[in-house]
Amino acid sequence: MAQIIKPDLNFVKEVIKSGGQDLKKCYQCSTCTVVCNVTQDKKPFPRKEMLYAQWGLKDKLFSSPDIWLCHQCSDCTAYCPRGAKPGEVLGAIRRLAIKEHSWPGFLGGLVNSPLYLILLLAVPVIILLIGANGNPLNPDSIPRGEDGSIVYAKFMPVNTVIDPIFIAAAAFAVISFVIGIKKYWNTLKSGGYEPKSASLSSTFISTLKEILLHKQFSKCNVTKTRTYAHLLTFYAFVGLAITTTWAVIYLYGWELLGIQPFSVFHFGESPYPMTDPLKIFANISALALITGITLVVLFRLINSPKAGIGSYFDWLLITVIYIIAATGILSEVLRLLNVASLAYPVYFIHLTFVFFLFAYAPFSKMAHMVYRTVAMVFARHNGIVSKELITERQAS
Amino acid sequence: MEKKIGIYICDGCDINEAINTEKLEKSVRNLPVKRHNALCSPEGVELIKNDMKTDGINTIVIAACSPRVKYDVFDFPGSIVERVNIRELVAWTLDPKDELTQAAAEDYLKMGITKVQKSDLPEPWVQETVKTILVIGGGVTGLTAALEAAKAGYKVYLVEKESELGGYARKLYKQVTRTYPYKLSEPVVGDLIKEVESHPNIQVFKPARVAKTDGQPGMWDVTIEMNGKSEVLRIGAIVLAAGWKPYDATKLGHLGYGKYKDVVTNIEFEEMAKKGRLLRPSDGKEIKSVAFIQCAGSRDPNHLPYCSAYCCSSSLKQAKYVRELSEDGIAFIIYKDIRTPGQYEFFYKEIQNDPGIMLTKGEVTGVMEENGKLYVEADSTFFMGEKIKVEADLVVLAVGMVPATKEPQEYLDGLTKAAAQGDEAKKAYLESTPKPEFILNLNYRQGPEIPPFAEKNTYGFADSNFICFQYETRRTGIYAAGCIRQPMTIAEAQDDAAGAALKAIQAAEHVAKGIAVHPRAWDMTYPDPLLLRCTACKRCTEECPFGAIDEDEKGIPYYKPNRCRRCATCLGACPERIVSFKDYSVDMISSMIKSIDVPEDGLMLLAFVCENDAYPALDTAGINRLKLPPNIRIIPLRCLGSMNLVWVADALSRGIDGALLFGCKFGEDYQCHFIKGSELANYRLGKVQETLSRLQLESERVKMVQLAINDYPRLPEIINEFVEKINELGPNPYKGF
Repeated sequence: MAQIIKPDLNFVKEVIKSGGQDLKKCYQCSTCTVVCNVTQDKKPFPRKEMLYAQWGLKDKLFSSPDIWLCHQCSDCTAYCPRGAKPGEVLGAIRRLAIKEHSWPGFLGGLVNSPLYLILLLAVPVIILLIGANGNPLNPDSIPRGEDGSIVYAKFMPVNTVIDPIFIAAAAFAVISFVIGIKKYWNTLKSGGYEPKSASLSSTFISTLKEILLHKQFSKCNVTKTRTYAHLLTFYAFVGLAITTTWAVIYLYGWELLGIQPFSVFHFGESPYPMTDPLKIFANISALALITGITLVVLFRLINSPKAGIGSYFDWLLITVIYIIAATGILSEVLRLLNVASLAYPVYFIHLTFVFFLFAYAPFSKMAHMVYRTVAMVFARHNGIVSKELITERQAS
Repeated sequence: MEKKIGIYICDGCDINEAINTEKLEKSVRNLPVKRHNALCSPEGVELIKNDMKTDGINTIVIAACSPRVKYDVFDFPGSIVERVNIRELVAWTLDPKDELTQAAAEDYLKMGITKVQKSDLPEPWVQETVKTILVIGGGVTGLTAALEAAKAGYKVYLVEKESELGGYARKLYKQVTRTYPYKLSEPVVGDLIKEVESHPNIQVFKPARVAKTDGQPGMWDVTIEMNGKSEVLRIGAIVLAAGWKPYDATKLGHLGYGKYKDVVTNIEFEEMAKKGRLLRPSDGKEIKSVAFIQCAGSRDPNHLPYCSAYCCSSSLKQAKYVRELSEDGIAFIIYKDIRTPGQYEFFYKEIQNDPGIMLTKGEVTGVMEENGKLYVEADSTFFMGEKIKVEADLVVLAVGMVPATKEPQEYLDGLTKAAAQGDEAKKAYLESTPKPEFILNLNYRQGPEIPPFAEKNTYGFADSNFICFQYETRRTGIYAAGCIRQPMTIAEAQDDAAGAALKAIQAAEHVAKGIAVHPRAWDMTYPDPLLLRCTACKRCTEECPFGAIDEDEKGIPYYKPNRCRRCATCLGACPERIVSFKDYSVDMISSMIKSIDVPEDGLMLLAFVCENDAYPALDTAGINRLKLPPNIRIIPLRCLGSMNLVWVADALSRGIDGALLFGCKFGEDYQCHFIKGSELANYRLGKVQETLSRLQLESERVKMVQLAINDYPRLPEIINEFVEKINELGPNPYKGF
């Protein structure tokens, strides 16, 4: 039986608008599939994605985990004889997949368009200004530490301001992600796959292993360097997550568990001295983040002639992370140097962007972390694995 | 003219490194010989001119480089000039300072001297001619050809069979472009029509037809019928641009044509688009999606086996109509291959970039209606090779081109076949078969129309020397242009029209001066048979590829010299050896063969070489310093078709051990400049067998080789192999007799 193909012109236009502007140049020669190192052995990837996108076959694209096979190494883009930039197109499709499944939907639209950037930033600015103890632009209005030093906790009290705001933001993100994951899982299931692997947890663990090692990602040729930049940024985020947990223990461990500061460990409210292990760990993570994200930018620029420059969606996340890393480090430095006129505004910006990153994560490129993981788990759960994994498995 | 011969030997270009030119000079007896270290230098030319002035030298033999170079330097009007090629054929290909090399140079010089002794200065056949150009067909090709000729200052008659000019191009809504930015453009045909109709040099006949074409280039008498009246016009040369028809879609029932109202051809779709709105033929509703089926009947052995070249770019263009004329309309193109050569590739890219144009490769397996909706089903698609089905409001069949020459050709082919079965079969054929409209109605013994391009694979296109000289047909002074010659796009047809118009002008100009047209476009000689000895065997009239010879009631041939291309096929055909040109005759070549010094105890071979491709190949071998065996003598012929069998007999009876014949490729992709020459030579070679057995010689002593100009690297191998073969056979038993 012939399958009926019904194109969706609006979806084609959306892909073109979302960074796939060269999509229609593809003439299906399959060079991309030949050069791609993560392609599967059964179906030509990413040739079929290019075709489906050209014809606007949204359902075919979204109901397959394959779009997340791609790590945008851009081998395909570099070798495409027509300049169709499959790497960029796949990026655009993933962006649309996130937008399609994220909840609430209208936020996806706002985050994807530069028109609403100011509006999105205004939300944390207003919330933080309400919570702030004084005016960040007027240092004299902000209470100081006992020795007259800058103490950010006095500007933004942790218990009453920071925690409620950020826990709320994080909770919103988590709820939104859970709904998104559910929707996406259902879309994937509609693709007609038959689960082959019994346990979801074991596939989850193997997926996690894959993510931690960046194994698939490291198969890139044209933009090999990107793997290292991404890996560094990824582990910087892991470090900062540990830092946050650690800080929570410092803050509440003292009160709730009655632990007293001992040796080099300073329980209680920040700031902590530079010799505290938490501080040392936090600073290393911060430096890793600024290095990682700098490399991301650098390699993107170096690779752009071959791989394309990327979309607003990509650069929004990069810029947000860059600002967070830079203002985070700068806040600390300015605090130590006691430059109050700059320290408070910079810290304020830092908090604004951290909020931005957290609250809008389900709609920004940050969401790739979750959707890619879901797709990878789904793929493993349904026995859809890459050619090399099959070979590896057969070898063992 | 009383000949006064002067011989000049050049020492330059390594000639005297390889040949002892002093000895060569001394080998000539009783004739004045001079040597110079660079004959082509101003001093060298001055030396000759001085001798012409002071000693009255009027027959000049120059032993130097190939006649294919420096012809502008060694140009002495009013004199016979013979160029003996001792550079490429001797100094550059044979071992230097070798005895056999010296012998070759001496033989070539002797042959050259013999040749001028047997030549006369040509006198052109000049008649009162006209230079008016007739263009048949008023489509883009015809209009352009008419304008090109008119702008060059020639009077043009344009005959169009419809009541309006413009042909199929007039039906177009928009035109494909092959220039930046590769958008759709307004059809050029409107401007062309205006320009033609207002041009003072052009007279348009419409609706009109050519009822008869009689005579020869420069002196055609063409009868034109218009409004029931006929008029005879004197014409110089003709551009045949009768164009094409779309393939008959009623034969494409498997694609739904005729069965569903909403299945139309690409031509019909143009007419729909021209109305400015796309409405379904069945119910008049607005069309939102159109599926284009490419190669509808084309590249299909059951319909048109060839590619029509325009349908891909045309459908890409029409897909854009869908996008422009209906909001958010979608166009599907299902193709075998997208063929958009040259600049059209950019047009393809431009169109492809439209989000609403969806392309896939696929073999269309059917067009069907289900629940009131029209579907196209295709297999082997880009969709993982699977079968897909798309719904479309309208299906457009991209049908190919059928040349206007096809119907007359098929009719005439059938007639020939019927006639071969006897008079009754012929009569039955004439009664049962409707006679199609003829285009030229030529008064030619070979038939009233242009013969097909390829005899075996006849697609109905007008003949042309496809590989090398596209506008040339087998009817001198008639040039085929546009889609009658090969399927092409509008822009290509305009290029073609300009080329053919220039060829027509050249033909008119040349015949006015009594000079041959292509390919011997300098030649003032013409065949001058000694009819007293003619036996009326009709071989010349049968074999002439250009229909230049007719017979009177007694069967005696007479020439229409302006139709003649001077290939001398008649000279080769004539068993009585009575056809001669002023500088080319059976006796001349025979005498040249006789002047070769055949050694009694050594090998000697002869090669008859076509001047058009094989001789340049030999020159190229020389330029590349390829080594050739020394014991072979080269005799250039106007065409291998002019090879008279008596020359082979002469050579063998003189003790020459074998003969090679180098001619152009023949057959479907023939490269013969005279179309049939090499093929005829090959045919005659079959008869050499007879001659050889009469002489009690092995047939392998004569061999024909088809050689293209770029085959020169093969020459040493070909000739050496032949030498080996002859060595195996042993010496010619006639040696020394």
